[in-house]
Amino acid sequence: MSALKLSTDQIHLIESSPDEKIFLEGIAGVGKTTAGVERLLFLLAQGIPADSILLLTPQRTLAKPYIDALLIPGVSAGGQVSVVTMGGLARRMIDLFWPVIGGQVGFSHPDSPPIFLTLESAQYYMAQVTAPLLQQGLFESLVIDHNRLYSQIIDNLNKAAVVGFPHAEIAERLKNAWNGEPGQMHIYDDAQECANRFRTFCLEHNLLDFSLQMEIFTRHLWNLTQCREYLIRSYQHLLADNIEEDTPIVHDILRQWIPQFRSSLLIFDLDGGYRRFLGADPQSAYSLKELCSTQFEFQDSYISTQPVTALENSLSTILKPQETAIKTLNPSIERYHPKTALVHGYFRFYPEMLDWVAKQVKQLIQDGMPPGEIVILAPYLSDALRFSILQRLDNLNIPCVSHRPSRSLREEPVTQCLLTLAYLAHPQWGKSFQVTKFDMAYALMQAIAGMDLIRAQLLAGIVFHNRQGNLQLTSFSIINPKMQERITLRLGEKYESLRIWLETYQQEPPQELDHFISRLFGEVLSQPGFGFHSNIKSGEITANLIESIQKFRWAAGEYLSETGKSIGMEYLEMVRQGVIAAQYLRSWQPESEDAVLVAPAHTFLMYNRPVEIQFWLDIGSRGWFERLYQPLTHPYVLSRRWLVGKPWTDAEETATNQETLYKLVKGLLRRCRQKIYLGLSVLGEQGYEQQGALLTTFHKLFQQWQSEGEN
Amino acid sequence: MAVRGGKLIAQLRTNQKEIVSYKKGKMGVSAVPGSGKTWTLSYLAAEIIASSRLAEGQEVLVVTLVNSAVDNFYQRISQFLGGRGLFPQMGFRIRTLHGLAHDIVRERPDLVGLSDTFQILDERETEYILDDVCHAWLNSHPDAFDAYLDLEQDDSTIDGIRRNKLPQLLIETASACIRQAKDLRLTPERILENVKKLPVPLPLLEICQEIYADYQRALAYRGAVDFDDLTRLALDALEWDNHLLERLQSRWPYILEDEAQDSSRLQEIILEKLAGDTGNWVRVGDPNQAIYETFTTANPKYLLSFLRRPEVIRQDLPTSGRSTRSIITLANYLIEWTRTQHPVKYLRDALTPPFIQPVEEGDEGSNPEDRPDQIFLSLKKYTPHEETQAIADSIERWLPAHPENTVAILVPRNQRGFEIVDELLKRNLPVVDSLLRSSTSTRTSAHAINILLSYLSDPQSAGKLANVYKLCYPSKGQDQSTRQRREHVAELIRKCNQVEEFIHPTPKRDWLQVLNAGKEDAQTLEELENFRNQVRRWLVGILLPIDQLVLTLGQDLFTEPGELALSHKLATLLRRAEDIHPHWRLPELADELRLIAHNEKRFIGFSQDDTGFDPDSYRGKVVIATIHKAKGLEWDRVYLVSANNYDFPSGIEGDQYISEKRFIRDNLNLPAETLAQLEISLNADEYTWYNEGKATQAARLDYARERLRLFYVGITRARKELIITHNSGRFGESQPCLPLVVLASFWETEKGITK
Repeated sequence: MSALKLSTDQIHLIESSPDEKIFLEGIAGVGKTTAGVERLLFLLAQGIPADSILLLTPQRTLAKPYIDALLIPGVSAGGQVSVVTMGGLARRMIDLFWPVIGGQVGFSHPDSPPIFLTLESAQYYMAQVTAPLLQQGLFESLVIDHNRLYSQIIDNLNKAAVVGFPHAEIAERLKNAWNGEPGQMHIYDDAQECANRFRTFCLEHNLLDFSLQMEIFTRHLWNLTQCREYLIRSYQHLLADNIEEDTPIVHDILRQWIPQFRSSLLIFDLDGGYRRFLGADPQSAYSLKELCSTQFEFQDSYISTQPVTALENSLSTILKPQETAIKTLNPSIERYHPKTALVHGYFRFYPEMLDWVAKQVKQLIQDGMPPGEIVILAPYLSDALRFSILQRLDNLNIPCVSHRPSRSLREEPVTQCLLTLAYLAHPQWGKSFQVTKFDMAYALMQAIAGMDLIRAQLLAGIVFHNRQGNLQLTSFSIINPKMQERITLRLGEKYESLRIWLETYQQEPPQELDHFISRLFGEVLSQPGFGFHSNIKSGEITANLIESIQKFRWAAGEYLSETGKSIGMEYLEMVRQGVIAAQYLRSWQPESEDAVLVAPAHTFLMYNRPVEIQFWLDIGSRGWFERLYQPLTHPYVLSRRWLVGKPWTDAEETATNQETLYKLVKGLLRRCRQKIYLGLSVLGEQGYEQQGALLTTFHKLFQQWQSEGEN
Repeated sequence: MAVRGGKLIAQLRTNQKEIVSYKKGKMGVSAVPGSGKTWTLSYLAAEIIASSRLAEGQEVLVVTLVNSAVDNFYQRISQFLGGRGLFPQMGFRIRTLHGLAHDIVRERPDLVGLSDTFQILDERETEYILDDVCHAWLNSHPDAFDAYLDLEQDDSTIDGIRRNKLPQLLIETASACIRQAKDLRLTPERILENVKKLPVPLPLLEICQEIYADYQRALAYRGAVDFDDLTRLALDALEWDNHLLERLQSRWPYILEDEAQDSSRLQEIILEKLAGDTGNWVRVGDPNQAIYETFTTANPKYLLSFLRRPEVIRQDLPTSGRSTRSIITLANYLIEWTRTQHPVKYLRDALTPPFIQPVEEGDEGSNPEDRPDQIFLSLKKYTPHEETQAIADSIERWLPAHPENTVAILVPRNQRGFEIVDELLKRNLPVVDSLLRSSTSTRTSAHAINILLSYLSDPQSAGKLANVYKLCYPSKGQDQSTRQRREHVAELIRKCNQVEEFIHPTPKRDWLQVLNAGKEDAQTLEELENFRNQVRRWLVGILLPIDQLVLTLGQDLFTEPGELALSHKLATLLRRAEDIHPHWRLPELADELRLIAHNEKRFIGFSQDDTGFDPDSYRGKVVIATIHKAKGLEWDRVYLVSANNYDFPSGIEGDQYISEKRFIRDNLNLPAETLAQLEISLNADEYTWYNEGKATQAARLDYARERLRLFYVGITRARKELIITHNSGRFGESQPCLPLVVLASFWETEKGITK
């Protein structure tokens, strides 16, 4: 066991017999995961083989404390602990039992291997299936951009799979709950049509999106004796953390599986359920409690200080007056008063508020606060907001990270440079893309070290020709010597090498796009005198791009070769349309570096990482309590809790919003040790006045304090 | 008006007292210009909040017409509440109709088929789309309008009309039709169904129906709605979900509506729903100031019929301390003459009582001292140029003698304003033209970023680089030596043939070193060095996505919080433009920004100009504004120009109408004819037929009615002095408008009596 100071309850749980089935519940911050990690280490220390332990979390970020503990040398013996999500396990099993199950499920080519789709590749195929229907006028009454339309249909399929109802019932369920104009209901039929076609398409082409993976696993493999026995034989010990964030179908499996384990520890966060929009079902998770012979409830927070807890009480009382407050020390004593846990800045304009935030962060760091103990949260993080905050912190030399790459693939200059050059090298792709002299100049500026924009534009203006879509680069040697001198011979020479390389490539049989980029990078751009030489960031982005193209090729290569389309060209088109953003490429998680984290509030909650200081921006925004409004799907109506046939009205909406805000506020405060900083501007990012429910809650709190002071 | 210790210093006038003592139910207030209706309504809002009539979470909802009024209300109510020791920002919400519709739709976008990320396109963007759609339609139907063209012209003229005039006319016609259809909540499909059922063709409607369908598709493709959709969808949401309606009714137990004379049908229905049968709804307006009706769905008839409802408590605010008695007499005479003597009987309802009453003697805010000698109603025939000269001459004489006074030149349309601005600037007269177009701050900030983007999209251009230098090192407002030096440096840069040798020199070719050798002074060289470093940073920045680039430029250029906030907003706008037009590069984005800078795209709350224009802040300067933009404002001296029968027709023989194009046969007003066809398409009555030309005649009267009120609004902007002139128009055919002739004659007689 580690040197952590643990409570008696924790020790009791951790050291329970290796045959015990335990259910642990408690609010956030009471040391549940700590106990879970220690229990894992305890089991290993008891000589239980690592590979007999299954560690299940709803998403990989939530497994981080366990993975970190397992990385300590000498911790595990006998293979590796399986750290998985149920989706990951499903995929493994499908891979393993494909020969048995492929034909049974209805795939047209069970003899060929399955093709697992990522969210992006699923979106790609959905676009293929749906686009012709859009041309025919489906969804005409709907105001939505196409990428969102695709993702919502995929989302519906996923919901059906994780809630456990047939995907053919999606439209019926949504229509039954529809409370708007009846004429609008046909969009659900349209969505159903697309979902059905997509499913058929997947079966025809051996494609497995997440929904199909889950369905095959839960409906077929789990019932297949060989598979179930394999799983039962492989794993004797289960540790499942944050089960409240998992879906009912996972709970169904666990319900059947738990009796087969030798030991199990299920950890349940009493205020959780933040992933409802992904199908999380805390109620069905809680029902697993009855399967466990030993039950624990932890209560004392290890995280929040007294004032933060008092602040949580004050806000909870406003948001949900009937709720019992957590016991705190007397808040009338000044140092325990919730006021001491709150700092706020009130400004008219948005950037003023951002300046204030940066200044406060700087002050905190100067006063000794480690940057990694500070998070900056907003309900939504627009690109402009993220950039503005990161830039301000950067200017103050404060290390900072954000929750995802700051740019999508099509916005990344390195990608644009590589794809422009790829396009130039493949005249056979035809005229479907617009490459302008600006694109050419920007590509040259990056490809050649020391090439400034002025010379790049001069050069592109002379050597780049777009004759009705036929692109051509002419030789540097034939341009006017005066101009050569202006551009400089050194840069001209590099340009010439690049041009000749592209020309030579064109003479050869075309290669796959990822191979092309790999060669371009290795043979030219990473060489001395070229822009990517010794530039680690460019190298990383190139690697990302290659990986993205490879994944696309694996997922779509076969289908495209059937249709006679070029993979490279199709990839470029998908990037252009934004279908492929490569922002999902790597399941991002905050690196352990000591940096201020800038993230959406919900994302931060799912990291389950307590910090000393939280900044809450845009507290007037509606994003703090509103679900994402998606006209083609509905997280509540498609949940298992929803009574099929009941209409979803505004009353439900309001109640849900209030509950969401309540949970979010509690969840955040329980992950905060010292202080909350509120950044408030009268006019939001778009210049509109903001009056959301969180703002009014704080107003009420201030009013209460004001009247306390007056009394 | 000042507030001290929670009490108002100024005594409320009797009528105002009655209004602010309102407790519940429906009340309609008919106000005259200058009667303090905004002030009274703000006071009433503060009264309701302070009297604890609101439960937790409830707000007084104030609905007004334009964005500038939103902030005006906000400041006043906050001030009243602050004066009473209350939280100044809580307990109320002020919205324009579109703002309110947005709030409602945002509550449940999915209910009306919108995704949570739906965009609202403003007029600039929707015009752009409509322009595209109309051009595409005309390309595929080149002869569709032949039946309407005046074919008594030679082929080349007709060709020219097809190319140059028809697209714009089609845009105007389709725009009016789409707006009306949305107000009537008709989808393109529904219109098509109706048209198909009719035994007779409605060609204009059929054309517009196709364009409407294409336009809606273009919006949907962008995941966007326009302002009219927003209003329509808000009503849909309220009708479809009763719980939502009940929640909003409970949130807004009091609705105060300002400028109710410009309320549209949908606005009335939405507010009626929110108020409910027993709700509290106060509507304040001046039917004589309804000036937004042409081809919109606004109409003062809604307010007038509200005032006549039995359950409505009716109040008047007839007292005004704004103008001299002479000006009040003129305005009242215009009402009187219209009601009793207007030669076109149908127009006699254009203006209605109450007449303006001056405040009682001794009352604070009493009317200015009367100066009948400062009323000039000129019937002299000027050409437009001569009229401009005459006005400029007059201002040139008057301004130096009255540095403490305010003055405005009011024009019927922007173009006329620009002509006058040019002349005044030529004469070095101080001009304020921010009411003519987008606000100055929008233009200045957007313009600054635009200068940079223009250069970045063409970095070899020495001229554009010189503009960037002038932006970073302005000469205006500097001492003479700095000014001269900077102008000299800008000239040097402009003449730099090879910009790269300045910005990115090589060891052998460095423009700055050449300058050094030429013995430029050290300060100049240092400034250029700094400038060069700055430009280099920006040149690298072009690789950033557009929003990040604009934010970076904004941070470097601006220090004022309002300007920074605006650049943040511009960044998100350009990002959106780029998302909609993925093939756009820097030049196109710079163009878009130029349009933002020069056009009507206004932003709320980013500068003083937007948060309510205060004429008193511009003493000793000449404000040029359209009469529309001057609404709610007042000046010591007002010039009302172009008062001819083209800009202010009266429905009489010889008058001309802007919507009747010379190249269309029979003077048909195509937008009006299209709306008539739309109306007919809804009519199942087999005896109701479409009569071509009837709508054109009716539109003349509607337009004349509105222009008469516009004339009235112009007159009532003046506190002490009023000058009205006219010109003969572009073709030299225009005459003084009838109201001017009538008032001039009345005034002659009046002066005679006074003498």
